[in-house]
Amino acid sequence: MKNEKAAKIIDKALKQGRKTLSEHEAKQVLAAYDIPVTKEVLVGDKTGLEKGLKKIGFPLVMKGCSADIAHKTEKGLIHVDVRTATEAKKAFREILAGMEGFEGGVLLQEMVKGRRELVMGLTRDPQFGPCVMFGLGGIFTEILRDVAFRRAPLEIRDAKEMMQDIKGRKILDAVRGMEAADQKMLVDMLINVGRIGLDFDDIMEIDLNPVIISGSKPVVVDALMVLK
Amino acid sequence: MSNKTKETRRIRKTDYPTTDYERIFHPKAIAILGVSADENGVGFGTGMLRATMAMGYEGTIYPVNPKGGTIYGLEIYRSVEDIPGPVDFAVIAVNARYVPESLETCLKIGVAGVEILSSGFSELGTEEGKELERRIQDIAARGIRVVGPNCFGIYCPASGITLLPGPDLSRETGPVAFVAQSGGMSIDFAHAGKWLGVRFSKMISFGNGADLREAELLHYLARDPETRVISMYIEGIKDGERFFSELAAATSKKPVIVYKGGLSAAGARSVASHTASMGGSRVIWQSILRQAGAVQVNDTEEMAQANLAFAMLPPKAFRGISIVGGGGAIGVTACDTAETYGIEIPALPPELQERIGSVLPKPGSSAINPIDVANPFVGPQALKEVLLGAAQDERIELQIIVSLLFHYKGLARAFGIPITEAAPYKELTQCVRDVIDQTGKPVIAVLPNMTRGTESMDITELIALTRQEYLSRGIPVFDELHDAIRAISHVNNYYGGKIK
Repeated sequence: MKNEKAAKIIDKALKQGRKTLSEHEAKQVLAAYDIPVTKEVLVGDKTGLEKGLKKIGFPLVMKGCSADIAHKTEKGLIHVDVRTATEAKKAFREILAGMEGFEGGVLLQEMVKGRRELVMGLTRDPQFGPCVMFGLGGIFTEILRDVAFRRAPLEIRDAKEMMQDIKGRKILDAVRGMEAADQKMLVDMLINVGRIGLDFDDIMEIDLNPVIISGSKPVVVDALMVLK
Repeated sequence: MSNKTKETRRIRKTDYPTTDYERIFHPKAIAILGVSADENGVGFGTGMLRATMAMGYEGTIYPVNPKGGTIYGLEIYRSVEDIPGPVDFAVIAVNARYVPESLETCLKIGVAGVEILSSGFSELGTEEGKELERRIQDIAARGIRVVGPNCFGIYCPASGITLLPGPDLSRETGPVAFVAQSGGMSIDFAHAGKWLGVRFSKMISFGNGADLREAELLHYLARDPETRVISMYIEGIKDGERFFSELAAATSKKPVIVYKGGLSAAGARSVASHTASMGGSRVIWQSILRQAGAVQVNDTEEMAQANLAFAMLPPKAFRGISIVGGGGAIGVTACDTAETYGIEIPALPPELQERIGSVLPKPGSSAINPIDVANPFVGPQALKEVLLGAAQDERIELQIIVSLLFHYKGLARAFGIPITEAAPYKELTQCVRDVIDQTGKPVIAVLPNMTRGTESMDITELIALTRQEYLSRGIPVFDELHDAIRAISHVNNYYGGKIK
């Protein structure tokens, strides 16, 4: 039972011969699978920008959004903590200039606050098919490589075990004045990432990094989906 | 273990052919195709004939060679079709290009299964080799099961069917089944198991795995009443999904110990995401094995030790243990190791410490837990009292006794007697058995040997004899304390480690 909304987005990208979904498209696919993502709008011009700023509100994050650009930080295409319309307009111009003609727009995103960053993802193993990943996110993903995998489909217990498998598991507890992360939400997210992998053979890899714990609620802040 | 949901979800109709495993593992009559007409032959066929006879196989053996004649007093049949009675199982050791026709005749006379020891098939990578293997598969599909080709075959101590080239394997049956592609790994483990105390129900080295292989064998062994513990060495698998579902189903019935070989860095695969770059074959395999509930081990020693623990300990988790031993840093290292594996060594209450302390030499001993008996010559009866005392603490679910037997060399020299007379090893092992019977709590023995040089052959012998005495009393023995504690942790993880 494929999700139709997600299928439309993926088919469109495939027809265009693209190897990735844009961040915005990836998040729409996630949202179609009930995975919480940042509130965001994609804007292409000044009128859109003004409307978008009203919708999202300050402070916000602005990102260059194109399927052709994977690593935005390195290219200066991310502006965080934008607090005024003037700042937003300046950022808008800079991002468009930085995109060097790649097709796309500027993503206006709510700024999710939270000190805990997780990663979720999906990879296809040649033997075992789609495998879901969970671990410490942000810059720690590659530095600590503190991650666990499970083959899809995941059961609730598989998802819970993954969270217990990582060395940094205590990050999910109520620590240093922070609330405990909503485990049920995390479980559902991991199960649904697996479902996306099972439903769409064309999705080769998924990277949700960071998934920020805001209060107790996890939210996908950045998303990458690689197509066949 | 509440693996029920997992099992029901993954159970599905299998398309495995109906197989008479009883006739394969416990054959009343076997044929050996490819014996030489000469008793001094060194071929696989003749080797298997000698090995099977040496093992004391009680059934009928029919050697087969087109030349006919006799060998070791047995008539050699020119063809399988000339054999006068039914044949349950056949060993095929003829040249690769004659294997298909040999298999065909076995099928024709109603043989249930064969092992093909010959090589020269897909492992060569040649078209000819692959084609020969395809022909084997085609014939097998018509109603005969094949182990191999390019394998060491099967071993079943109860029936006396043995691996290539194993004339000296144990005939003592036991709960452990072992499955591997590798014949070398199989014969090594069969030999090691004999002295380590790992007793096998059956062992299958399936080589190229043209027909029977890992997933189907798991399916069978999970349902095999002779097998209580399944153990596997895996290099590659044929069908990931099927393997996973059979493994998960098997672990819900009995422990499955998996040693996965070839986990070195995954081939350079171009990937764009963090997730894919994190998911090399090692981490994926580890995750998959954990998800399926398998017991993962990292080398042959750990595999053998885990098998020993699962085979000889009661099926439960042991959270608190006591450790009894003499001298050195045993206390500190024991605690460090136990903590690493999530096992507790609780301090005994004062009244038990007093009771235990009363039979120990002073000063120098400590009855807290780990219990340091201070002196390697504390006698079996005193050790029995110590173990009985520690077992009084209800937190103690298992006990480990460490004996540094090499110290008896000095005593032997002083009295001018052999070390095997100086050390009361038989009495010791019986005392430990008595403790188990009286307390209902298992005891594990650890026999470290620091002296393995040629000048210490008598110590090596003493330790081997002591091991044998322990094993004959149903008590598992490990070389090192660390090995024992790690093996217990595997048992704990299987019986108690599941998140509900």
